[in-house]
Amino acid sequence: MTNDLLGLLVVIPLATSLATVALVRRPVPQRILGLVSLCSMLVLALSWLVRIRDGEVMVSQMGAWPAPFGITLVFDSLSGLLLCAGLLVTIACYVHGFSMVEPSTERRYFHPLMQLLIVGVNQSFLTGDLFNLFVAFEIMLMASYGLLAIGRTRRQMTQAYKYLLLNLVASTVFVITAGLVYGMTGTLNIADLARFVADRSNAGVPLPTGFTGLSVMLLVVFGLKGAFFPLWFWLPDTYHTCPISIAALFSGLLTKVGVYAVLRTFPLVFAAGDARDVVLPILAVSAGATMLLGVLGAVSQHNVRRILAVHVISQVGYMVFGISMMTTVGLAGALYYMIQHMVVKSSLFLCCGVMERHAGSDDLDEIGGLLKRHRWLGVAFFVAALSLVGVPPLSGFFGKLVIIRAGWTANWWLSAIGLVTGWLTLLSMLKIWTQGFWSPESGPRMNRGGDASGRVRCLRAAHTGIGILVVAAVLIGLAAEPIYDIAFHAAEQLTDPTTYIRAVDPLAAGSVLTASGGGG
Amino acid sequence: MRMSSLILQTAVRFILPLTFLYAAYAALKGHNGPGGGFIAGLIASVGFCTYRMSYGDRAFHRLLPVHPRWLVFVGLGLAGAVASLPLLFGQPLLRSASTTLHLGGSEVHLVSSMAFDLGLLLVVVGVAVGMISRLGEELDR
Repeated sequence: MTNDLLGLLVVIPLATSLATVALVRRPVPQRILGLVSLCSMLVLALSWLVRIRDGEVMVSQMGAWPAPFGITLVFDSLSGLLLCAGLLVTIACYVHGFSMVEPSTERRYFHPLMQLLIVGVNQSFLTGDLFNLFVAFEIMLMASYGLLAIGRTRRQMTQAYKYLLLNLVASTVFVITAGLVYGMTGTLNIADLARFVADRSNAGVPLPTGFTGLSVMLLVVFGLKGAFFPLWFWLPDTYHTCPISIAALFSGLLTKVGVYAVLRTFPLVFAAGDARDVVLPILAVSAGATMLLGVLGAVSQHNVRRILAVHVISQVGYMVFGISMMTTVGLAGALYYMIQHMVVKSSLFLCCGVMERHAGSDDLDEIGGLLKRHRWLGVAFFVAALSLVGVPPLSGFFGKLVIIRAGWTANWWLSAIGLVTGWLTLLSMLKIWTQGFWSPESGPRMNRGGDASGRVRCLRAAHTGIGILVVAAVLIGLAAEPIYDIAFHAAEQLTDPTTYIRAVDPLAAGSVLTASGGGG
Repeated sequence: MRMSSLILQTAVRFILPLTFLYAAYAALKGHNGPGGGFIAGLIASVGFCTYRMSYGDRAFHRLLPVHPRWLVFVGLGLAGAVASLPLLFGQPLLRSASTTLHLGGSEVHLVSSMAFDLGLLLVVVGVAVGMISRLGEELDR
């Protein structure tokens, strides 16, 4: 169905970004505007998600140019779920930032950059066009460079610089690959590409030579953004040096956009034909290594922030594992896991921010006894950590259950690695729990609630942010079935692209629809 | 970053209006041919930057009395407004409306995407001029 209001998800944050630039010296109106913008987008996205719960696809053709020629915005179950989760995480991190981000940082275009980041993220989730995906990535990255750099010292800037350089390389490869894809297939619209691939496989015609090469190049690009093995090295340092609310947001959104790009393009287009035999083993091996090495890295760390940051990598491994099966159940599991991971991981980072504030440090040797003084923080962390580990009935359990059970028949060794990773996750979370919360009070640098300059600041906003996400994490676990149903619809549309192609490009769909259910 | 030679200064006095004229030509041509707001913005900012290089910062402020960031602000606002206006009429984003004016026997084809292009031009000029001025300030110190 056509829904021309889809563009609002890009226009609202853009307009808010401009409005907050005009108000840059006045933090309170900026905060109100920002919250109004984020909440209205969440309401819109949720209402659309309810409307398409039966697996329909909403489409808007920019400038009324029909599909393969113009840019198409697509709101299907996959984008819808991720948009809602992304916006929820953003709201929580944004609120958390009210008490965590330094006032000097806030005055230096913090709010406009946040909105700009959301422009990029929303557009990445919505767009149905490979080149537009590149543009969306660039908007998102540009804003993230800004957020990493504002109010930073020289040493912290070196980390931001590393992140910038790597992403510039990845973007360059991406745009080159997009050019090659256009040269090879004559289109960049994802639905049209899916049609191209499906037509070939139905007619028994092999794909053009070099198609596999393009798949691998794209995999490298998205893998770097998503921090797959072996392209994860930029992540821990980057997340270690920025303000904690921003780190929480990045951990929830940025790597997931990379995973989303794989989820969107590979089942539909780039894992077809010969490419399938190359891409799937790469994904499988990468998934195993990402899960296991990521969690080993996390266990070996000694700072709360670093443990959590390296954990992001390990969790991405589960999603790649789900994708590497390329079956409906595997993809649905990966998507469900992504949703819950965004919420849970960000909530852990937000807890870590408050811990740092209370204890004056995030080094596990220097903090302790937090449970006695801040019981609710302990409860929130405990719930989020168990959810990350995957204890029923919390949300992480269902995601892991689906992925590991589906993987048992396809790649039993990956499932085994997944289980071992689960235990090690428990171990690393216990490390934070026992040393940070349970151990007797210790540490020379106790400053109760003061920030870097020693001022005591109200933490109510930070607690609200944590509360939103922890409640959401529990709800995602309790409402696992309806959410998994939507994820399953999304996965069905990925493995059988006819619905997607028909919605985006009704004229071209004819050739695929006559054949038996499409290829891909 | 000032290279104040008499030859350059005299030349820039002629080059500047020419670059603006060429930028305007590229911007207007862009609807149906190669060109458009982005290219025109780059051409115009080349003019601005050579002017700044030859006459220095103070003269440049007289030429462009606002901070470049306001050009970005206004340009982005204009482009965003033109892009999202069709939503009010139940049309998708970026839909352009067009009309033909009859002015003394000649026909002028006007499209709303021209305003979008103008916004784009302002953004590009603002970004390019802003960055180069900022780098120039560092060098001047």
